[in-house]
Amino acid sequence: MSGWLVELWSIPAALGFAVLFNVPPRTLWLSCALALAGHGLRFGLVHAGSDIVLGTLVAALLIGFCAEWWSRRARQAAPVYAVCAAIPMVPGTYMYKAVQALLQLASVTEASQAQQHLVDAGYNIVKAAMILLALAIGIAAPALLWPKKGH
Amino acid sequence: MALSLNDIAHLALQAGNLVHQSGGDTARTADTMTRAAQALGADHAHTLVSSLNLGLTISARGEQHTAFHKAPHMGVNFRTLTGVERALASLEAGRISVQAFTHLLDDMHTRPHYAPRWLIALVVGFACGGFAALFGGDLAAVVATTVGAGLGTWLRLRLAKAGYKPLVFAIATSALAAILTGVLARWLSATPDAALAASVLFLIPGVPLINGAADLLNGNYLNGTVRLTMSAVFVLGIGIGMSLALRVLT
Repeated sequence: MSGWLVELWSIPAALGFAVLFNVPPRTLWLSCALALAGHGLRFGLVHAGSDIVLGTLVAALLIGFCAEWWSRRARQAAPVYAVCAAIPMVPGTYMYKAVQALLQLASVTEASQAQQHLVDAGYNIVKAAMILLALAIGIAAPALLWPKKGH
Repeated sequence: MALSLNDIAHLALQAGNLVHQSGGDTARTADTMTRAAQALGADHAHTLVSSLNLGLTISARGEQHTAFHKAPHMGVNFRTLTGVERALASLEAGRISVQAFTHLLDDMHTRPHYAPRWLIALVVGFACGGFAALFGGDLAAVVATTVGAGLGTWLRLRLAKAGYKPLVFAIATSALAAILTGVLARWLSATPDAALAASVLFLIPGVPLINGAADLLNGNYLNGTVRLTMSAVFVLGIGIGMSLALRVLT
C-alpha cells in the first residue's frame, strides 16, 4: 500500500473513535469525511514541501472550520464532529519512537553512551508535542476566530 | 405556574452536570446552565464551573438562590451532549413543557451506548489497524493491531466500568494491547513497528486535549490546565505500558 490510497485508512480510524465516543449514528459520515479531508490535506501539504507541524495545523483548521460551520447549522457542539476527525492525525510513530529511545536510555550505564538516545528521545518527544499542540489548537481555534451573531 | 428558585437551580445544575460529564468544554457547561436557568424563569444566572464543582446563583422576582453540586468525572458521551442541547433548544423555543424537559434529563442517565461493548471493541481495534496502515504497515500489521487493540479496548471498558483510575487502566491495557500486537506482528508482519506504534492509540485522550486547548484559548486557564493534565496522565500511562511491553517482547 502506498501513496494516496493509504489515506483511505483514516476513515476507519475516525469511525472507531466516533463509535467509542457515542457519536449519534446519523452524523458518523461527517466525522469520517472530515477525517479523510484533513488527513488527505496534510498528506498533500507535506508532499508539496510543507513541514508536518504546519501541515497538521492547516489540516486541523480545515476540520475545525467545517465542524464549526456544521455545528452552527445543527445547533450542536463542534467537538462532536471535529474530535474524531482529528484523531487520525495523532503522531503515534513519534510517540512510539520516543518511548523506544527512553527505554534504551534506561539500559545505558555510562553518560558518554547516552548522547544518541537523548537526541532521539528529545527529537521525537518535541516533534510529537508540536504536532499534538497544532492539532488541538487548530481544532479549538475556529470557534473563537469565527464571530458569533446575536450573542 | 412559576417554578421555585430551588427547582430552577436543581434543573439547571442537572443539565450542566450532564454536559460537563459528557465532553462539553467549560464555556459550553456554563452556557448550558445559564440558558437552562433563564428558560425556566430566572432573570439572571451566575455560574461556576471547576473540574470538581458546579455551582450557580440565580435571581428572580427579587430573590436569590445559590446551589452547588459535586461535578462528575469528565468523560465523553456525545449522545448525552447532543441530547441535552436538543432538549434545551426545545425548551427555549417552547416546544416542550418543563415536565418533559425534566423527564428528558432524567432519561439521559439511563440511555445506553448506541453500540454494544463487543462491537465498540471491534471497531476501535480496527481503527487502530487503520493507524497501523497510516504509519506504513502492511495488511498483516493491520490484522495484528486490530486483534491486540480490540482486546485492549475491551479490557479498558471493563476496567473503567469497574472503577479503576485512568493511570491504572492505561498502563494495564496499553501493555496488554502492545504485547498481543507485538507477538502477532513479529510473527506475521514485515512491519512490526508500525503495528506496535498503532496498538495503544485507542487510549489517546482526544476530547480532554481539544477541550483543554479550547479552555486555554477561551481564557479558562485553570480548567484548561486540569484537562491537559488529565491528558498527560493518559499519555504517561500509555508510555509506561508500552515500555513494559517492549521489555517483555525483547
